Amino acid sequence: MRVLGIETSCDETAAAVVEDGHKVLSSVVASQVDLHARFGGVVPEIASRAHVELVNPVVAEALVEAGAALDDVDAVAACHGPGLAGALLVGVSAAKALAFTADRPYVGVNHLEAHLYASWLEEPDLRFPVAVLVVSGGHTLLVVVEDHGRYRLMGETVDDAAGEAFDKVARLLGLGYPGGPAVDRVAAAGDPAAVAFPRPMLGDGFDFSFSGLKTAVLYHLRREPSANVADVAASFQEAVVDVLVAKLAAAAEEAGATALVVGGGVAANSRLRQRVLEAAEAAGRRAVVPQVSLCTDNAAMIAALAHRRLLADGPTPLDAGVDPNLRLPRAP
Amino acid sequence: MLILAVDTAGERVGVAVGRGPVVIGAVTLDGRRRHAEQLVPAVRYLFRELGLKPGRLAAVAVGTGPGLFTGLRVGITTATAMASALRIPVVGIPSLDLVAYPLRHTTRTIAAVLDARRHEVFWALYEPVPGGIQRVSEYEVGSPDTLGADLTARPGDHLVAGSGALAYADLFEPLDHVELAGPSHAGPDATALVELAAARLEREEFSRPSEVRPLYLRRSDAEINWGRAAS
Ligand SMILES: [Zn+2]
Repeated sequence: MRVLGIETSCDETAAAVVEDGHKVLSSVVASQVDLHARFGGVVPEIASRAHVELVNPVVAEALVEAGAALDDVDAVAACHGPGLAGALLVGVSAAKALAFTADRPYVGVNHLEAHLYASWLEEPDLRFPVAVLVVSGGHTLLVVVEDHGRYRLMGETVDDAAGEAFDKVARLLGLGYPGGPAVDRVAAAGDPAAVAFPRPMLGDGFDFSFSGLKTAVLYHLRREPSANVADVAASFQEAVVDVLVAKLAAAAEEAGATALVVGGGVAANSRLRQRVLEAAEAAGRRAVVPQVSLCTDNAAMIAALAHRRLLADGPTPLDAGVDPNLRLPRAP
Repeated sequence: MLILAVDTAGERVGVAVGRGPVVIGAVTLDGRRRHAEQLVPAVRYLFRELGLKPGRLAAVAVGTGPGLFTGLRVGITTATAMASALRIPVVGIPSLDLVAYPLRHTTRTIAAVLDARRHEVFWALYEPVPGGIQRVSEYEVGSPDTLGADLTARPGDHLVAGSGALAYADLFEPLDHVELAGPSHAGPDATALVELAAARLEREEFSRPSEVRPLYLRRSDAEINWGRAAS
């Protein structure tokens, strides 16, 4: 079975064709990062407008790359939440229109759940349970996947998302937008032990908090205006990574997980990737650190999840809408 | 030649199917801003009742606004996605034209006015001409008072139609030489879209799906604020 997936929940317009839930025949992502850069963050109205212009060409390219016509796909899926309402509506409208036109089922899927499924695209034989950390500009959550469709939410952020903290600190350091790659790049030349930034909520359950850490960076820069930018970036990054990895490892321990898994845009961070591999090895568990293109927002993960959802729950009705605040389905 | 016409620029979801310029089915729903939920099911209902398959369509026509951004995007995305999939042309027609066209048999100047929220309206002015209407202003966005002053300053009689006319009836009704069209003219009319699109197709004036763009008339708030900060 081939599924065409569409993703437009934030600032990437993406489409992909995935066969049998794990074989990626094509995955096209049009990033709008340049459109939002001058505003220092994603502007919902600009994102929605760009999705309207990009969605059809991106879908067409995904079909061409997969060597498929619309009639060759068996279902059309879109992310229906969580995300920016106006942005989600574009992908969902396109998917429904294509599903109706080709007389195929439409499947609306949860963006967060799709991030969890990205790891199965690389490791289809992954055994349950697994501990997954999804970190991006919009989300920070720690989940134990007990079985297909059975999720135990262990923790989430109580304030800023991890990616937001990177963006804000990058701005404080004058590194530009998006902050994640900028901090990662600069931090490579810095000393991660140069500044002893706090490790918020370390050893305190599975929830995260990053707004205090951003404030600590601000105060440090006020106290020492000539601080070495690379050292500050490396020290900040180390503090974030320490907390993320410690909680991921602890969740894996508590759940008896077979593997430590990361996803989301922040999972592109080179230090986080390295530290997850080390933590998994130390604990004698597998590590799944998917290629960056599967961590950041993409439609292959949407199509992969839609395959499962279609088999388990059947199609989504064409009169379903979007839910900008959709939560991860809880374990029954 | 089968044409599917959709307009979701206003509160309504409007869908019509034409065999050439002749409308063979139409659905109008008070969308209550549930355009994304209602549009494709409305199209499916019409096709089912008419015994048609999407593959038989020759073109898709869509109202391009100006209007409420979200509705506009749902309509344009749905229309262009269908047209891309079927490899058929799209005809985009401004939604204000679809408010004015059904009133073409008047002798007065027609002001098509759609509610833009934030105490603003979208509008354009039209003169009836043989066989249709001719637009005599730009597509505008602004306060209803500006439009009221505009109409008062113009010679002749005016017929004011659309959701923006109804929302600010208290303002327009007392004006001299101005009459309000009723609530049946509140939104862009998908059956008018069939007629106008059929004529365009006849003249081979159509676009590829990627060329159809919403007529926003407003920049995003972020761009407006950024422009202010920069200037
Ligand atoms: Zn995401």
